[in-house]
Order: sequence, then structure tokens, then C-alpha cells
Amino acid sequence: MARPIPATDVLLNLFGAPHQSDLVTSALRLATALLDRGARVQIWTCGDATGLTSAALGDTKPRDLTDLERRHPSTALIVRNLLADHPDRLYWYVCRFCADDRGAADQIPQVSKRSPFLFAEHVKAADKALVMGVC
Amino acid sequence: MTDHLLIESGGPQTGPACERFVGDATRLAGDGHRVVLFLVENGVTAALPGAAPGIETFLRGGGEVWVDTFSAAQRALPATDLAADVRMVEMDDVAAKLLEPQVRAVWH
Repeated sequence: MARPIPATDVLLNLFGAPHQSDLVTSALRLATALLDRGARVQIWTCGDATGLTSAALGDTKPRDLTDLERRHPSTALIVRNLLADHPDRLYWYVCRFCADDRGAADQIPQVSKRSPFLFAEHVKAADKALVMGVC
Repeated sequence: MTDHLLIESGGPQTGPACERFVGDATRLAGDGHRVVLFLVENGVTAALPGAAPGIETFLRGGGEVWVDTFSAAQRALPATDLAADVRMVEMDDVAAKLLEPQVRAVWH
């Protein structure tokens, strides 16, 4: 049975290469600002952006050899915390095809993997959609 | 008349696409639409005087240019170095604009 897609105010689509620019920072800043205003937000990742929530990332980034005591959170942990802070208002979807194709099929349990054939339904469920990272 | 929020993230150094996007904003403003051009990430460099001539045309045509304070600070660009008529904004301002029902938005 098809899983329902919650209605949201904004859909942010991360289609671009996530570490080529400030894309991830911008997306997370915008999502947080929208959530702080009470909006409902869904994020859909495609391509290499599916790796942002790969379970293999763990909770922290590799140790910084110039600052061994400091721990930096992984994107997976940042997303997990953001989802925990905004239950029922933030949804994170991962394109199943893109994730599988990049060896990122094992995702953190807080996100949902969806077939790319459902993408249009997600667009329909949002009042507005932004495609980020590609022209 | 429609309200538009056009978001430029690349800037003039990425090639002609930025100038064309600003040109689209100018044409929309010229047709009487309310247009906000938000510069973010490397896009903030378009607000440097002379970096993207289309910005001045857009401003003269009644458009509004917003510059992301965070992106500008990351690139050591104080507001005093940017074109005089731009407005420094926080992401909260962008979220508020995006959530206005009549606003159409494009991220470039």
C-alpha cells in the first residue's frame, strides 16, 4: 500500500553535488528558518546528496588531526537532530535509486527512501518547491 | 502582478548564467511584477559594484536586491563594500518571503 505523503508548505530538492558549494549549509539554514516560522517542510535528496544521511557516516566526522579533542557532527547526525526537533513538521526523503547506485542504500532510520517515480507526488504535496544545486 | 523571489547562488564568476538570471529578474520587474533578487553563497559577489552590471539595471527598474549576511561575512565582504541600494538580510527574512502565499520562487 502506498505510504501517504504529508502536505507541506515547502519542498526543498537537493539535486546538486552537496560538497561542491555551500548547498548543504544553505539548505539547512533555509529549512531551519522555515521551521522556526512554523512551516512544514520536506526535503528530497537525489544524486550524491543521498549520501548526507548514509548510516555509514556515523555521528561524527573523521577526527581533525590539528584539533584532536574537537568533535564535528556528521551531516547524518545534524539531519537526525533536526528531524527529532521538528516531529510532524519536517520530512526527509532519499531517492532510492540514487542511494542504491552510490552504495548509500543503508540510511539512518529517521529518513525515508522513496522511488524516484513518486517524486511528482511529493511536488504535488507541497505548496512550493525549490530545486537547489543545479541550474 | 505576481511576486517573485529569485535566488542567485552562483555569482558572475560562474559564467553568463548569472547575468541571464538577473536579466530574467529585470524583465519581470519591467513587466510590473514585484521582484526580489536574493544573493546567497558565491552569488553575493554580484553585489560588488561593477561585478554584475545587470544588477544596477535591475535596481533602476524597480527590483529589490537582498544579500545574505552570512554568505557575505564568510567571504569577508562588509556591507560597505557592496552596492549602495542592496539590503542585507538574514535567512529568516527569506523564509518569511518564501512563505507568503502569492510569492513564486526559483533557486538558481
